[in-house]
Amino acid sequence: MTAILVADDDEDIRELVLFKLEAAGFDVTAVDNGVSALEAARDQPPDLVLLDVMMPGLSGIDVCRALRAEQATAQLPVILLTARAQEGDVQIGFGAGADDYVVKPFSPRELVSRVEAVLARTKA
Amino acid sequence: MTLAGAAAVAIGALLVAAVLFGVVTVVGRLVRRAARNRRARLAAPARRLLVRLAAGDDDETLIDQLVAVDARTWKAVEPAAVAMLGKVRGEAHTALVEVFQRRGAGTRAERDLHARSPVARARAAEVLGNVGTADDVPQLVDLLHDKDPDVRVVVVRALGRIAHPSAAGPLLASTVGPTPVPPPLVAHALVRLGLAAQVDVAAALDDPAELARATALEVLGLIGAVGSARQVEFALRSDLSIEVRLRAARTLGRLGTRGALAPLLEAMEPDRPPALRAEAAHALGELGAPAAAQPLAALLTDAEYRVAHEAARALLRLGAPGREALSASDSPHAREAIGIADLEEARRGALAVAGR
Repeated sequence: MTAILVADDDEDIRELVLFKLEAAGFDVTAVDNGVSALEAARDQPPDLVLLDVMMPGLSGIDVCRALRAEQATAQLPVILLTARAQEGDVQIGFGAGADDYVVKPFSPRELVSRVEAVLARTKA
Repeated sequence: MTLAGAAAVAIGALLVAAVLFGVVTVVGRLVRRAARNRRARLAAPARRLLVRLAAGDDDETLIDQLVAVDARTWKAVEPAAVAMLGKVRGEAHTALVEVFQRRGAGTRAERDLHARSPVARARAAEVLGNVGTADDVPQLVDLLHDKDPDVRVVVVRALGRIAHPSAAGPLLASTVGPTPVPPPLVAHALVRLGLAAQVDVAAALDDPAELARATALEVLGLIGAVGSARQVEFALRSDLSIEVRLRAARTLGRLGTRGALAPLLEAMEPDRPPALRAEAAHALGELGAPAAAQPLAALLTDAEYRVAHEAARALLRLGAPGREALSASDSPHAREAIGIADLEEARRGALAVAGR
């Protein structure tokens, strides 16, 4: 089963993403901060990481950069989930090595499509 | 009583007061925590339904189940439901709105807009922002001048979410007067109104208040209102406020129209204020017109640090003609810009080697 790691400090978002992705057939692990996300990705690299950008401590951007800097996790597909929709924010997200950028408020259905598209692209 | 005795009594009284204060504080916290936990327990089953609905679960009975939730439980779960409305869009959002509408939340919110409590007014505005329609705009506009600043902020955001163009003028007007709203919040709400609000926003360029004109310009740039480019050019050339002219220059850079080149070049002339010259140089970089390379190169040795600095950064954004002009210059600003570009290239190369 395809494993997805979700990191978001917002309990509502975490729960609904978890529900939606599990309903779509993914094996989902959810954490509520960047440090835990980095540890989880290092311990057992998932097939895809979904990161909230604004988390206390280590932001999604920081986690993404850290994943890209390490050999074992450099290839992990990363999707950023964020309320920051300005052109510059998107640029920073992709500059950090993200594969896709989903802006909040988001459509859960579209999120699943994007996850599937990124997975298909990176597995090809 | 002796002086020492009186002091002992006073110290004793203070100690008793401190202990009492501590006990009241701790008990208060415990009571609040218990109430919060009770509400969470009460809300839990309905919250699970909400999460499923917000996640786009196809179960058609979910809406009916949430509409059937008793009033006490709904009161406990409503804050979570309101928060959820702001987090999802598409079908999931529409389904949540239906729950609110069928439970009569819109009607209650309209009534609560006139409540005595500012918290109730703010909550009502928040709900209307999420489930309201164009019909609710006039009532919310009235609250833009609420005596409570927090209510005004919630109302601005609510109007942004309803996104009806009729709110554009009142929103811009709310940045000035005795009960103003912070302009960045207003700008953010206006951006959500999009191009439909272009005409109303552009009309504010004639507003006597400098802040309203500056905010309008910022918004025109952010929504990509190229149809208003001529008015923005006019503001850059003739507005009496330097702050407004700075915003006009920035907006022209964002809009990227061909006609922006001439007014931006004029704004860089030596007799203009240094802040405006620097902003115009920055905007020319955003514009990306190769014809700006020569005039920008001439500024690399400008006596004003920020003008020369922005000119160098702008040249970088022009691509090959800009890079050529930078290489031909021995200005420290040019060398710095080239150095930064080289570092960025090296970083990208390293990322490519790592497999990205």
